[in-house]
Amino acid sequence: MHAATARAVTQELKEPKGLSPRIQWLRDYYFKGTEREWNNEFTAWGTGTPWDLQFNEITYYIVPETYLLLQTMKGSFHQAARPVALPADFWSRSLVERRAWFVKETMVKYVPKEILPGDLIAGARFNVQTSMCLTRGERKTYDRLTIGKNGARHQVKWFHDHGYGNAGATSGHLVPDHERALLLGWKGIHADLESKYAELSGTERKGAAGAQLRAMMTAASMPKELAEGYAAVCRDIAATETRPERKKELLQMAKNLDRVPWEPPQNFWEAIQALWINHMLIMSDENYPGPGVSFGRIDQYLLPYWKHSLANGMDRAFGKEILKCFWIHCNTAYDAMIRNGHQGITAGFGQLLTLSGMGKGGADMTNDLTYALLEVIDDMSPILEPKPNVRLHRQSPEELLDKLVAMIADSQGAPFLLNFDERSMAGLMRQAQMTGATDWINPETVHDYAPVGCLENTMVGNDRSGTVDNNLNLLKAVELALTGGKDLVPFTNPLTGKTEPIRQDGPKTGDASRFRSWEEFWAAYAEQTAYIVRKCVEVHESSEAIRAHFFQTPYLSCLVRGCATKARDVTQGGAEISLTTLEAVTFATTVDALLAIKYLIYDQKKCTIAELVQALSANWENFEVLQAMAKNKAPKYGRDDDEADAMGRRVMELWCAETWKHRTTTTGRRYRPGMLSWNYWAGDGYIMAASADGRRQGQFLSNAICPSNGVDIHGPTSNANSVGKVLGGRSSERGDWGDYCNSLPNGASHTITFNPSILKDPEHRQKFKAFLRGYAENGGTALQINMLDSGMLRDAQENPMDYRHLLVRVTGYNAYFTTVGKELQNEIIHRVSHSRF
Amino acid sequence: MTTTTTDETVTGRIFEIQRMSTEDGPGIRTTVFFKGCSLKCVWCHNPESISPRMQLQWIASRCIACRTCIADCPEKALALSPEGMRVDRAVCNGCGLCAHVCPSTAMEMIGKDWSLNDLLHEVLKDSAYFQQSGGGITVSGGEPGLQARFVATFLKRLREQGVHTALDTCGMVPREALDLLLPYSAMVLYDIKEIDPEKHAAYTGHSNQAILRNLMYTGEFMRSHIYPRDLWIRTPIIPNATAEKENILGIGRFIAEHLNGVVQRWDLCAFNNLCRDKYLRLDRDWSYNENGLLESSRMIDLFETARSSGVDPAIVHWSGATRIDEPSGKDAKTICKK
Repeated sequence: MHAATARAVTQELKEPKGLSPRIQWLRDYYFKGTEREWNNEFTAWGTGTPWDLQFNEITYYIVPETYLLLQTMKGSFHQAARPVALPADFWSRSLVERRAWFVKETMVKYVPKEILPGDLIAGARFNVQTSMCLTRGERKTYDRLTIGKNGARHQVKWFHDHGYGNAGATSGHLVPDHERALLLGWKGIHADLESKYAELSGTERKGAAGAQLRAMMTAASMPKELAEGYAAVCRDIAATETRPERKKELLQMAKNLDRVPWEPPQNFWEAIQALWINHMLIMSDENYPGPGVSFGRIDQYLLPYWKHSLANGMDRAFGKEILKCFWIHCNTAYDAMIRNGHQGITAGFGQLLTLSGMGKGGADMTNDLTYALLEVIDDMSPILEPKPNVRLHRQSPEELLDKLVAMIADSQGAPFLLNFDERSMAGLMRQAQMTGATDWINPETVHDYAPVGCLENTMVGNDRSGTVDNNLNLLKAVELALTGGKDLVPFTNPLTGKTEPIRQDGPKTGDASRFRSWEEFWAAYAEQTAYIVRKCVEVHESSEAIRAHFFQTPYLSCLVRGCATKARDVTQGGAEISLTTLEAVTFATTVDALLAIKYLIYDQKKCTIAELVQALSANWENFEVLQAMAKNKAPKYGRDDDEADAMGRRVMELWCAETWKHRTTTTGRRYRPGMLSWNYWAGDGYIMAASADGRRQGQFLSNAICPSNGVDIHGPTSNANSVGKVLGGRSSERGDWGDYCNSLPNGASHTITFNPSILKDPEHRQKFKAFLRGYAENGGTALQINMLDSGMLRDAQENPMDYRHLLVRVTGYNAYFTTVGKELQNEIIHRVSHSRF
Repeated sequence: MTTTTTDETVTGRIFEIQRMSTEDGPGIRTTVFFKGCSLKCVWCHNPESISPRMQLQWIASRCIACRTCIADCPEKALALSPEGMRVDRAVCNGCGLCAHVCPSTAMEMIGKDWSLNDLLHEVLKDSAYFQQSGGGITVSGGEPGLQARFVATFLKRLREQGVHTALDTCGMVPREALDLLLPYSAMVLYDIKEIDPEKHAAYTGHSNQAILRNLMYTGEFMRSHIYPRDLWIRTPIIPNATAEKENILGIGRFIAEHLNGVVQRWDLCAFNNLCRDKYLRLDRDWSYNENGLLESSRMIDLFETARSSGVDPAIVHWSGATRIDEPSGKDAKTICKK
């Protein structure tokens, strides 16, 4: 999920280009939003019981904006649910079998099937809220565990309200085994399930394993029956279609659907049709539209079909036309809550697809389909889904980089995320070493990884690692170390206005004003870090347990290697690689706060700890001089300053070590570390107390692994170097992949804002390319490229201290934007908005 | 903190180190700006580079009006008025205490003395980017030739580590300085601002005779030594000064006559007026305060003049900002270089 910062964009926006009338119409239609007569908004389906439940609130525990809406949503979907007629023995089946049957029945028989004008791909409505199929007893237990006293909801709310972060068992966030589903077809998957079922003993069949495999077999027949329904619709429309060309297309679509996704596809069109249905039903199965349900290395597993069809007469442009229809389909995920505004309540779904990257033995895997897909992205953008990701490495070809840089220049920013293989693979190798899972991740296989959601690295087809399930504000441990384990400021409930008394929540690390040295402070910080990680694990467990008991996804389980073999659902730890990820938020703010404490109190003796605590409690009011020193005089992470970055490394090693210590109780999933901050770094800035780095309560925290706002005053290379260093840098002795070290198997979100002058002519574009190659040597796992725009500069005029790093360079002259007068700033803004440096 | 003397064999006085510089030679570079200049160009864009002394400046947008500096100034040289901080430069002895105590970095000393090892450590942080881009280190200023012994040692150490080096010079340096610097400069960026010696003296305080002699000497040096390998000429195009056809023509003829085949590139750099505030902060007037930017047509005209002056037209480039004509769109594409 991307944290898109809303900004007024006054520059010329990139326009889509090269679209056929068909695609132009579909794209325009899509962007009509609520004015469309057709849409893919949630429809709700129920068992008809008074205790029925559709909306699974734990999926939203990591979206704090929704906490106040949970009860309403639960009620509304129940109220709106249309009944599905149940078979007589329904309630005697196991829960997982009830779910499998119910989802299939709803999707095949109840949810309307439509084909949009001109569309080449079938499979339109997939946003559903289907019944969780609970019995009255199960519902009672579910309620007790969620909304009961100290239930999961209460726990996560407390965790959020007190500034720790959030945690919850969330759907999606994996790369299903699409390659296998295409190679075997559902026919093959179903046959495999049958043979595994046949191998079960009588007792096993009567137990959970039997129920799981039967449910998966039911789920495995869903795509076939759905495709049959769509084939009939295509033939119906074709019967009255008067244009011969379109009639032919519709009849071909029907023929495609007669075969796929049950049979393995034989050409590119069939492969895309199959892939779409296989993908969209995951979103139906999970009752959630595409949260990081990612496609993986699409230019690799689709290549054989692409080549075959091109060799057999498919026009390359038609191949791209099919892909563009696929693009439109992905975007209809946003229709789920279309009436609540265009994007509903979630701002990004992250159906990520991955292009290029390393293959076996370090070979580069860029191919013709890679370029075709990049052309599609270029033609279609700006558009939100699917979210492209391009994997770069030391051997990436010049031609690929040229294409990427040209696209970045045209879009004034990157329409894709860049992933860096060596550093990313180092993290996954570290994971293999920590977990002992070297069967699944080793030097022979590690190249077969792909990011999910925003950028969270996982292996493809066999890995669910809960990449957004635990989001922890590391900064909380600094606060608790200053106070000896208590909140610095009391929490006031915004609804009731009631202020909670401050309690001893964390360990009693003692009165900080008695610490005689920095190391004593660090020891307290370390103890509090262990506590907040433990607390996060505890909060997450409350919803992880609920999901494992009540919300299996047998259809998705068919698409994840390991589930059939273990006869265990993916929500219960069925995947071959089944971990959960603790995503650290506020990294740079934490490091900078610690650096400021060391500088102000122990090194320079500018104040005492008691004074600092007083200043933070007062949100720096009447402590402006101290605040200015904290902001401007104390060292900061992100400037390629070895001493400051060493503090960053120390913080990194500490919280990662604490994270690896844990595993989930119910499902036995080991914890691994990562850094993604989605939008929490903005929202939680209002909740977390003022911090020692000079930040006031209400100001943003730092985002993922990025330096704090405005501190990277030495430009993109120093910023990237600091990021590489805190991840572990390079070492010939300790390298995880070659000499690359990486503490974070999940990877770390990193955004750098560039001055558009870096792309102004071919000579500068060469330099930018070289920067990307340098990033592969020195930087992090993933990079999002932003271009400075006039909106940002205007914001910098208003908030100069947040933008100290903005450098304006015009031949022969350089200055920090915020140090020049208003009139000249306006001149620069004028130039930026005309792309005229 | 002393501002009077620096032992240039031990330390170099630098006012800025610019990482990821893309304007000072090939590739991605780190540019080291040495403080102190032998010319006093009336249009200078970096006035803080001219004096070899440490200089105090006050940055209004950073000031939180805490008056710590005023209270701590031993010479009582500071006063805060509604118009801003007043530095009594007659009284101020440049001790730098105010910048040291200022919590918000509003009081800033321009210039810092760097030891050779610290400087090497700092500039080599971007080696990976130099390697990937064919970039390296540029020494600029001010005039790096004024600190020739330090700079030469610095360049030598960089060359020993295989780092590409570029010397950016105004040419107004003693011959001995060039002898020290050229052997360790893989390339030279050399300014020729004005071909007429009297006008040159009027604009910069010195005639250009020594500069042109040094340029020819550099060309000779290149013919007989391994380094420098490349020579780029740079000409600032200043309205009402250097932005004249005959000047460009004259410079071109000089290059064609004396440096044929030696100069790989000649850059015409359009004037910009974005440095007004730098003068204000140093309490100095700037005669180019009111000068607008050049029209792009004028710049293109001079560019064509340069191309037809007798040099190989392929070596001529131009860059920099030109006036944005309202309404926009008219020739929006052609304006931004190339």
